[in-house]
Amino acid sequence: MSIDIEVLMELYRDMSLVRAFELGLEREFKRGAVPGMLHIGVGQEATQAALAAHLRADDAFFPDHRCHGLNALAEEKHGGEGRRIMAELFGRATGVSGGKGGSLHSANPAVGNFGDNAIEGSFMVTVLGVALAWKMRGEPRVACCVIGDGTVGRGEFHESLNMAKIWQLPVLYACVNNGYAISTPVAASHASGDIVDMARGYGFPCKQVDGNDIEVAYAAVQEAVAHIRAGNGPYFLEFKTWRWQGIFSGEFRPAEEVRYWKEDHDPLKLARQALSARGVTGADLDRVDAEVKADVESWIQFSKDSPMPEAAKAVADVYVGWEVKPR
Amino acid sequence: MTTAEAVRVRTYVQALNEALDLAMTRDPSVFLLGEDIGRMGGDFGVTRGLFDKFGAERVRDTPLSEAAIVGICVGAAMVGMRPVAEIMFADFLGECYDQLVNNAAKMHYMFDGQFKAPLVVRTAAGGGFGGGPHHSQSVEGWFMNVPGLVVVAPATPADAKGLLAASIENDNPVLFLEHKGLYRVKGDVPEGYYTTPLCRAAVRREGRDVTIVTAMKLVHDALAAAEVLAQEGIEAEVIDLRTVRPYDAETLVASVRKTGRAVVATEAPKMGGLAAELSATLSEECFGYLKAPVVRVSGLDTPIPFSVPLEKLILPGKDDILAGVRQTMQ
Ligand SMILES: Cc1ncc(C[n+]2csc(CCOP(=O)(O)OP(=O)(O)O)c2C)c(N)n1
Ligand SMILES: [Mg+2]
Repeated sequence: MSIDIEVLMELYRDMSLVRAFELGLEREFKRGAVPGMLHIGVGQEATQAALAAHLRADDAFFPDHRCHGLNALAEEKHGGEGRRIMAELFGRATGVSGGKGGSLHSANPAVGNFGDNAIEGSFMVTVLGVALAWKMRGEPRVACCVIGDGTVGRGEFHESLNMAKIWQLPVLYACVNNGYAISTPVAASHASGDIVDMARGYGFPCKQVDGNDIEVAYAAVQEAVAHIRAGNGPYFLEFKTWRWQGIFSGEFRPAEEVRYWKEDHDPLKLARQALSARGVTGADLDRVDAEVKADVESWIQFSKDSPMPEAAKAVADVYVGWEVKPR
Repeated sequence: MTTAEAVRVRTYVQALNEALDLAMTRDPSVFLLGEDIGRMGGDFGVTRGLFDKFGAERVRDTPLSEAAIVGICVGAAMVGMRPVAEIMFADFLGECYDQLVNNAAKMHYMFDGQFKAPLVVRTAAGGGFGGGPHHSQSVEGWFMNVPGLVVVAPATPADAKGLLAASIENDNPVLFLEHKGLYRVKGDVPEGYYTTPLCRAAVRREGRDVTIVTAMKLVHDALAAAEVLAQEGIEAEVIDLRTVRPYDAETLVASVRKTGRAVVATEAPKMGGLAAELSATLSEECFGYLKAPVVRVSGLDTPIPFSVPLEKLILPGKDDILAGVRQTMQ
């Protein structure tokens, strides 16, 4: 498994961007500049970078609540603007959903982003419809949904995997197993601590990979996407990872576990090690970090400088073609 | 309406079938999905013959996965298809409530107009046939509070065809309620493709003394009641809502301002439903014109029992509408 050094460098940059995005966002959230709720994806950067690397603008992905980074990467890679993802989180008119969606409903179909749904995992069945339409029309595209381990508890998980199989739909399930749903560990809520075992019964390829090793995650997504694009039906990937942030600040995670994931198994640290083993200097990587950080700061400034949505937007687009009266 | 052609007598089921057939013929993006709608033609025969004509790709049998059925509609509609789902009984809409309410209905708004959800979910609603608590409900009230959703409820075969065609053409998500008590009802149905406009009520009978506002099966009960009243010298105007949400307030208000009396009749339980909404609007908009309080004629606030005599006690009919009108005439 040897990825070109240029590709690995780009993946490192992408991961670093995701981290900078999330940390900048969290800082602004704590300052009160970002309204609502916030779930950040620090610790899960490798999964997002791996998905962003292989999904095309004319594929579709349904991001989960920790995918701001994936959303921003899709913008940057496919002719959009990462700063519009940030502006959406600030609820501004310049955001991808015009400020009406926020963190949990940022979409931009032009870059393949079909939007999160704050009803966790509801899009596990929506994704089937996108995939079915493409299959009926003979378009070799991939429809991906990103789901957490906790979200696997939804009944739609079963409905989705079952129908993806019987209709051989081009669906990529990207399950981000970070060990917990809010405070509840996987072992307490699922019949198997390995989600992949729950998926296997549906009879299509399923794989569990180290979601923090970017080379492994990249190769896994590559293989899955190739399988799906070739018309072979669905594919399930479980990424073993860990989120640094709790959904709420109260945490129940053992100190040794926290230490392991933050110190020994941080996806960015692992990538730096891999790159330095191949001759890239720490200074080169620091430069990348500084560049993406500067980008993110400019996105935050852009968001703060952007106007709020116009009042007329409050009643716009409830129906296609019919108006709703303002107050 | 567009394109008027020869008119023939057809049942409500046949009229629905014609609408699906013609819509699928005109537009390759229309496809059907649901439980046992393929070879079998659906529990009530609405899709009969379409599997043979259009094939398994466009008339798709699904597992008992209601959330997935509607979720698939939403996803396919997001990328330009016009799916039409059949949910066997309206009582099962709870299984896909999230997809209708949180996904289909909000899609266009929450993503700032970037997606549309032009889908239709057809379902068999209403009681009166011993279906019991889980096969008899009138569910429009469950959806009254959902901006973004359209709820259509035809009362006649001609409307069943024209409104279904219009619902398929419309770019909004439509919940299409078919009353089980109407499936075998016959009426004049124009041949060929036509659409009947959404959000427009129909005045089924003109009258000067009292307005009866209703939908679906009760339209027929209201017309029967109006005949009885006419013999007593009371002329009732009967309005068929046709679209329940967003409804045609203009037509209702104009009628009630004219007659000064209103009876709102729905099969669903009284509390918090369509009847409550209509009567509130009529009170707000017509207060100065009203000669008597608006009367609601509704199902009792109970589940629907299996026992035939008990069910009869709970669901309203012609006699209840008559009693309601007499109350407003006092
Ligand atoms: C249907 C639904 N149930 C519950 C919630 C509240 N909620 C938000 S995130 C979350 C935990 C999700 O856990 P997981 O899928 O593992 O994702 P993670 O936050 O760990 O990334 C819950 C319960 C929700 N938004 N939607
Ligand atoms: Mg989790």
